[in-house]
Amino acid sequence: MNTSAASQNIHEQIIALLPRLRRFARNLTRDPHDADDILQIALERALTRLDQWQREARLDSWMFKIVRNAWIDEVRSRGRRAKIFLAEEMGADVGVDTADKQATLMSVQAAMLRLPEQQREAVSLVLIEGLPYQEAADVLDVPIGTLTSRLARGREELQALLGPEETA
Amino acid sequence: MTISDETLMAFADGELDEAARAAVEAAMREDPEVSKRIARHRALRARLQAGFAAELSEPVPERLTAVLRGVPSATASNVVDLQNARAAMARAAQARAAKVRDGEDGPRAKASWGTAGSIAAGVLLGLAIGYGMWSQGSLPIGRSAAGPLVANGSLAGALSHQLTTEQAGAAEVHIGVSYLAKSGEYCRSFTLAGTATTSGIACRHAAEWQIHALTQEAAPEGGAYRTATSAQPPIILKMIEDQIQGEPLDSAGESAARQHEWQPPK
Repeated sequence: MNTSAASQNIHEQIIALLPRLRRFARNLTRDPHDADDILQIALERALTRLDQWQREARLDSWMFKIVRNAWIDEVRSRGRRAKIFLAEEMGADVGVDTADKQATLMSVQAAMLRLPEQQREAVSLVLIEGLPYQEAADVLDVPIGTLTSRLARGREELQALLGPEETA
Repeated sequence: MTISDETLMAFADGELDEAARAAVEAAMREDPEVSKRIARHRALRARLQAGFAAELSEPVPERLTAVLRGVPSATASNVVDLQNARAAMARAAQARAAKVRDGEDGPRAKASWGTAGSIAAGVLLGLAIGYGMWSQGSLPIGRSAAGPLVANGSLAGALSHQLTTEQAGAAEVHIGVSYLAKSGEYCRSFTLAGTATTSGIACRHAAEWQIHALTQEAAPEGGAYRTATSAQPPIILKMIEDQIQGEPLDSAGESAARQHEWQPPK
């Protein structure tokens, strides 16, 4: 087996995953610049650990986990610096722009920003990135029961923030 | 018997085993409230999906793709062809600027790839081989009567009608970003499925989509058929960066532009 060709193939697969990894990183960090920074760190780490990836494992889950660990390390090393919530700003636009699609878009994102971290991670992996419960639980290093209860609470919270679906 | 909300959630997410699923289905038949709660879970997922779909079409910064393409030989793009085209384009732009000078108040060194008929024949040859399997048997790119390369067939259809937020993963054509170029035209980047990955930029000129850039990456190992992925080569992203006026279109902007058949805004 030509290993350099194989690893090149993984590089291409990871490149194809970049938009999703980036979206996950943004939901994790709530800051697009932080998201790109930790994504870069995660990609560099992934490249040095390609031999640890087992082919039967899902590449996306493996990458999500590396991204998340990169973020945890980053938060630890800098101490959690206070972040000014974009949430208020983004929420403020919702009432003004009633062009429905735009408003929905903003409010869904603003609502996500307000979720506590653990719920946000669970919602992000399962409902946005589409991972099965078990995969998401593995990424977060928690038992599946913990994942489902975080997911349930996150959903409740989002329902409360978003209100009933408007029928446009 | 009441069913916990967590169970209904798992049902909505397709995570229950057969027995549990049957129990929920039975409860749904008895109690319309159960169906309503499940529908609410599904609607929330759909709202989140819709709200975060647009982020997938944003171009990924080059510094990120560069990490993975760091090895010089990592990808064999037809960058050389494009560089030739870029040089030819620069010469053409200079010539055009000289002509325009008396009519307008100054040279507008706008980078128009449309007239770069010099996009190397090698790329087109690659297309001909790569697209033997296109349904109509015709290339999705051809030469218009006026000279420049234009999109036709399914590529033209996708450019005119496909919204970035609504495209199927397995579509023949994947639209990357839509934006208003400094030239005042709407442009869209695209990737074609095939045995090699072909990406490019097309800009709406009158009733045609002119191909402003085209790259093709060497076929992967074994020449397997690849779907049109959202990853776009750095050189295409760089060109978008150079050409773009403001921000990429969001889904509302795309819908509006489509409604006006991608004609330049007033």
